[in-house]
Amino acid sequence: MPRRNPSRARAGAGRRPQRHKDVLHGAGGHRADAFRCVHCRLEVSLTAPGTVHRNHCPHCLTSRHVDRRVPGDRASDCRGRMEPLALSTRPDGEWMIVHRCLSCGELGVNRIAGDDNALALVRMALRPLRDTTRAGRTLMAL
Amino acid sequence: MSDNPHNILQIDTFTCAWCGLTVTTAAADGARREHCPSCLHSRHVTDHVAGGRSRCEGRMTPIAIAVLRTGDWQVVHRCVRCDELTAGPVQPDDNQLILMRMAVRPLAQPPFPLEALGSL
Repeated sequence: MPRRNPSRARAGAGRRPQRHKDVLHGAGGHRADAFRCVHCRLEVSLTAPGTVHRNHCPHCLTSRHVDRRVPGDRASDCRGRMEPLALSTRPDGEWMIVHRCLSCGELGVNRIAGDDNALALVRMALRPLRDTTRAGRTLMAL
Repeated sequence: MSDNPHNILQIDTFTCAWCGLTVTTAAADGARREHCPSCLHSRHVTDHVAGGRSRCEGRMTPIAIAVLRTGDWQVVHRCVRCDELTAGPVQPDDNQLILMRMAVRPLAQPPFPLEALGSL
């Protein structure tokens, strides 16, 4: 695929910095720096290695639908459970999880954190390869 | 769509925003296409957050392959202008090479050594 700006595509040199986070998760108090996963009920601390925008459980990768258009705006009143749907890759090779809200169907993308469950991530990456008929058809097309 | 599908003057087409291919809106099985079968790019016409038609009209690049519980594949698109996401079903005549390349793309650059999982 042609790249319009090869210097920018290389190693993410011109990528905009991560958005500054100015919203708190809770109202303060003893739960201000933690949340409980809506799927596996794991108590998760908000401080994560590798990202300042932790939005999913590191064990089961499930998230919750709280943001509307801008990540971190907390403007959605859906509050549905978001299941991990797919893995996407940035041009520099970083993995992103695509979530889909189970109650309204909205999609969201979040970077993986350093303590995310590696087995769950690899299982999701291998999901398209489970059915080998399509891979075989692709080989025949070569 | 016209009432008479055999009327060649009224076949619905659109031009791909990325590769310029002229594509019929209806796929071979009659389903409505929402991305180009050659490069899988789409156009942002539906506003999924607020509902209704979007005024963005930006190009949407394919970013991921999602596999449903039924085994069907879906392409996840992201709008290059406003970062909105959509997911649409894969059509049988879509470019299999690009689909497969996107599906195995995460495994090409794993964030951790995959050999560590062999001991599990």
